[in-house]
Amino acid sequence: MKPPRLSRAVRVLLRKELRQFLRSRTAVLTGLMLPALIMVIAPLVQLAASAAGTAQRATSTLPAGVPGMSGLTQLDDLFLYVTFPLFFVLAGLMTPSLAATHTVISERERRSIELLVALPVSVTDILTAKTAANLLVAAVTLLPLFAINAVAVLTLTQAGVLYVLAALVLVLASLTASIGISLLLALVARDFRTANNLNGAFVLPTMIMTGLCVTLVPGLWRFLVLALLMLALGGLAYVIAVRWLTFERYLT
Amino acid sequence: MATALAFQHVTKRFRNGRVALSDVSWSIAEGRRTCLLGPNGAGKSTSIRILEGALRPTAGSAELLGEPIEGPGYAAARMRTGIVPQGPGMYADLTAREYLRFAAELYDTRPDRVIAAFGLRDHLRTRLAELSGGFQRRVVLAAALVAEPELLLLDEPTVGLDPKAGREVHDYLQQVMRGRTVLLCTHNLAEAEALCEDVIILRDGQVVVQGRLADLRRGARSRLRLAVHQGPEALTARLDGIGPMRVDGRSVLLEVADPEREAPAVLRRLLEAGLDVYECTPVQASLEEVFLEAVG
Repeated sequence: MKPPRLSRAVRVLLRKELRQFLRSRTAVLTGLMLPALIMVIAPLVQLAASAAGTAQRATSTLPAGVPGMSGLTQLDDLFLYVTFPLFFVLAGLMTPSLAATHTVISERERRSIELLVALPVSVTDILTAKTAANLLVAAVTLLPLFAINAVAVLTLTQAGVLYVLAALVLVLASLTASIGISLLLALVARDFRTANNLNGAFVLPTMIMTGLCVTLVPGLWRFLVLALLMLALGGLAYVIAVRWLTFERYLT
Repeated sequence: MATALAFQHVTKRFRNGRVALSDVSWSIAEGRRTCLLGPNGAGKSTSIRILEGALRPTAGSAELLGEPIEGPGYAAARMRTGIVPQGPGMYADLTAREYLRFAAELYDTRPDRVIAAFGLRDHLRTRLAELSGGFQRRVVLAAALVAEPELLLLDEPTVGLDPKAGREVHDYLQQVMRGRTVLLCTHNLAEAEALCEDVIILRDGQVVVQGRLADLRRGARSRLRLAVHQGPEALTARLDGIGPMRVDGRSVLLEVADPEREAPAVLRRLLEAGLDVYECTPVQASLEEVFLEAVG
């Protein structure tokens, strides 16, 4: 079976979106700061603290009988299976959301959407290209940072390649969820501030959902369950956006 | 001649309840250049947006190059249509070259020809938002013409430009409209008169006039322009009772049924009254007069 191909209009729009993303070097570089903090610096500090033995007492305070916590005997386990999934989800959610919101809202606010309406593209083409561009840029931003994290995890802990792969799936699924939901919220919101506020409000329930998964689902399964939930959220948001979206709604 | 554009009983009601078009029907034959006129809020831009696929009619149907806008052939018809939107926003992060290449790729062609035709070669590296208004409009016009379309939809192409830039764009329009079907939506009656041969006038979302401009002028009130050395007051006193008139500067415009037939009698009457007549000219109704008569 052939993989689905993007239409020519979407490919052309995608190139335009990527060109616009890369036009501001300052925006590209500052966009790395938050993911670097969440994906590299915070985890490395935790692993360094664990290696130095400064936080050895933490595991003794874990609640007994909670499915997600059983078997977590070492401090490294606590980091790998409790705090790191939170970091992965947070990095996936936070990295693309601003850019995804901006690309939709700015097109409407500066009225450049009028230029697109005049060309032979559909509103679904535009949304698909924006989704793909955001996904690509966020993946290119996060994957090198994730690689640093993965090397540290493989070097400093007992975790294996399977852990790294599960974590990677979770990061990519979180990216997808974030982009789908950010685009939908940006389409619904009338301005940038409202879209940002809605995005911020969306992070809290998602993090609660992540916390519940981490607490209730044992071992590597928590990564898989979380990834599936994130993909479902992102996919649902994209489908709703495409069904709801018309040029009339985008323009007015 | 085949129909290029058609509205059949089109009504457009927006989500806020405002009715922009109410049971509007009109058609434009292939190869005709038609201006769509009307006061603000008459439904001109809504009509263009329906044709470009940005808005859907609430009722009725519209056709672009013979294809219903919600039919399977519409996408192909759009590829044969060039559209100049009204006052679009300009990308601050794309240069003129990048934007024209982007537009050309969507039409599966190259932008070289329009870059040369619109004198854009020296401005290709400039970001769109940094171009002057005249050059921005040229770029948008170039993008609309990149695939040599059969049909042009122009929504206020010179609005907001200074007179020099407006003149330049007007000259380009004159060149590119030749041999194409055109629907020009404008407030500028002089521009419409110079560029179009047919006219549709909308008022409050309804068609009040449609026809050939020449026919409409002939059907409009005919006038004689008269001027005498004694001034317009002396003239109006002597013309009293012939027909409605109005003072226009130093001259008087007198409404008559047939200016060429009635001019000699009017002239004789003025000369016999001792007035020194230095102008007596039949005046054809301008588009402005046709427009004002139609929209009140």
